[in-house]
Amino acid sequence: MARDQARQSSAGPKRRWLDIVVIGRHPKATLARVVVLIVACCVVFRFILLPIRVEGISMLPTYQDQSLNLVNRLAYLWHEPQRGDVVSIRLAGLHRMFLKRIIGLPGETVAFENGWVLINGEVLDEPYEKSACDWNCPPVKLGPDEYFAVGDNRTMAWTEHRMGKVDRTHIVGKAIL
Amino acid sequence: MKSVLRLVLIAVLMGVGAWMWTVLFPSPEKIIRRRLVELARIVSTSPGENDLARLADANNVASFFAASVELKVTLPILSQHSSLEREEISGMVYAGRSQVGRLRVTFPDINVKVAPDKQSAVADLTVEATYPGDRQLQEMKIFLRRVDGQWLITRAETVQVLS
Repeated sequence: MARDQARQSSAGPKRRWLDIVVIGRHPKATLARVVVLIVACCVVFRFILLPIRVEGISMLPTYQDQSLNLVNRLAYLWHEPQRGDVVSIRLAGLHRMFLKRIIGLPGETVAFENGWVLINGEVLDEPYEKSACDWNCPPVKLGPDEYFAVGDNRTMAWTEHRMGKVDRTHIVGKAIL
Repeated sequence: MKSVLRLVLIAVLMGVGAWMWTVLFPSPEKIIRRRLVELARIVSTSPGENDLARLADANNVASFFAASVELKVTLPILSQHSSLEREEISGMVYAGRSQVGRLRVTFPDINVKVAPDKQSAVADLTVEATYPGDRQLQEMKIFLRRVDGQWLITRAETVQVLS
């Protein structure tokens, strides 16, 4: 009996200290904070910053295969996508998307000539492009709501690289990392 | 206290009732979604599959389609706009499965819109096909019609996202 009491008295302060660290002095307030945090995370990571995992090599060397990133869905709320932006492009939904770089804007004509990108016949300066390529593509005229998107990995074979015209409605947001 | 308990019990019963209703009488959207998931499962193939199973699955796939199906596919490797009979689809699936050793098809995103008369529907979906060494993503539009209580595919076309 005496031994039990002694054990309880020694475990008491320790248990209390652990409760304060884990739950806090006011459990109700802690619970409210946890609920607010969960709701905030759900809203932020569903409607504002979309977490994505990059799969594939089409954006090398800018984005490595299996790297993690965030897509800002509000990036184009006030202005339209700009040349050089890395954007995520949706298909039927948001579970699988393409990650590409915008090189052509609405109304422009985009072409590849011996690896050089030509916008309306002028060579485009691409500081993010580290490797030379030999791609050739006849001029593509973009419509009023169309952008030209392409990956950074131009060492890939032309036929294996998904690129081309993309409608504005398919652009979900801008990669932020 | 007793009335609160009674209210909670009524709310729980109503919730269970609503859930049971959706299980027993699923909406057309849910039925179509389920059928498409089933179609993806059947189209997928694994190595070592015997000919009989392959044939059975090919016939099974054909049962998801109407007697005549309009196919409009525009891909870098294939461009086809044709009308196919159910048997032709079965043959194509069988041949395709024989050629590909391993194929995993999934529809990660399915958006279904049912017409007000509930006799036709359009499903906008993402097709993800994974096979040895590569993976392809493609958006597709599938048109379905209700025939004898079953939702059958009448038309399938690719949607050009990056073209």
